[in-house]
Amino acid sequence: MSGKSFAECERHRIQKVLDFRLPTSFKWIGLVIVIMAFVLFFVRSQFPDQADFIRGIGRKVFIIGLLCISLSRDKEEDEMTIAIRAQSYAIAFIIGVLYAIIMPYVEFGVSNIVHSGGEAYKELGDFQLLSFMFLIQLGFYYTLKRYR
Amino acid sequence: MENTIKVERAILNLTQDDLAKKIGVSRQTINSIEANRYVPSTVLALKLSKVFGKSVNEFFKLSNQD
Repeated sequence: MSGKSFAECERHRIQKVLDFRLPTSFKWIGLVIVIMAFVLFFVRSQFPDQADFIRGIGRKVFIIGLLCISLSRDKEEDEMTIAIRAQSYAIAFIIGVLYAIIMPYVEFGVSNIVHSGGEAYKELGDFQLLSFMFLIQLGFYYTLKRYR
Repeated sequence: MENTIKVERAILNLTQDDLAKKIGVSRQTINSIEANRYVPSTVLALKLSKVFGKSVNEFFKLSNQD
């Protein structure tokens, strides 16, 4: 394979990944998965000895549901919705980074103000950060779409 | 970027929805282009050019801010 055709092949493959979208129906499938995650969070209290396990599963299910909604194609997908989606991912990424940097100090500060000698400083968990970023992305996407 | 798509559309007696269907985008996208809130890609501009039967720079013009 020549250098040029190899580069073409790579570019084509990357473009395919960039263009990847799930079918529109995945928006509803994602919503059902998110609702299932909420059900799991409520069911957790019924099984106290399995609570941590169920919570872990529920968190993963919640993230998968949000991912399905985020990746699903719009009913009327065109270049403007693609541009809006890219903008919303960029905004979610920037806000997510700021959230990850600032939030642990806010939690630490608030906890120490509310209870004297409150919680020790701890970093954000992956679930908290990912769910926050997905919610920001989806929020901005639908808001930008409404005001386009 | 300024445009006269609304005028061109009126000349051809097309609604936003008709034009959107002809070039394969949503009506909201046509509305945003007409309101100068969105600058279309070259592909979309050429599709509009084909519908209007005019060259792109006859209905898209650079503004002072560009």
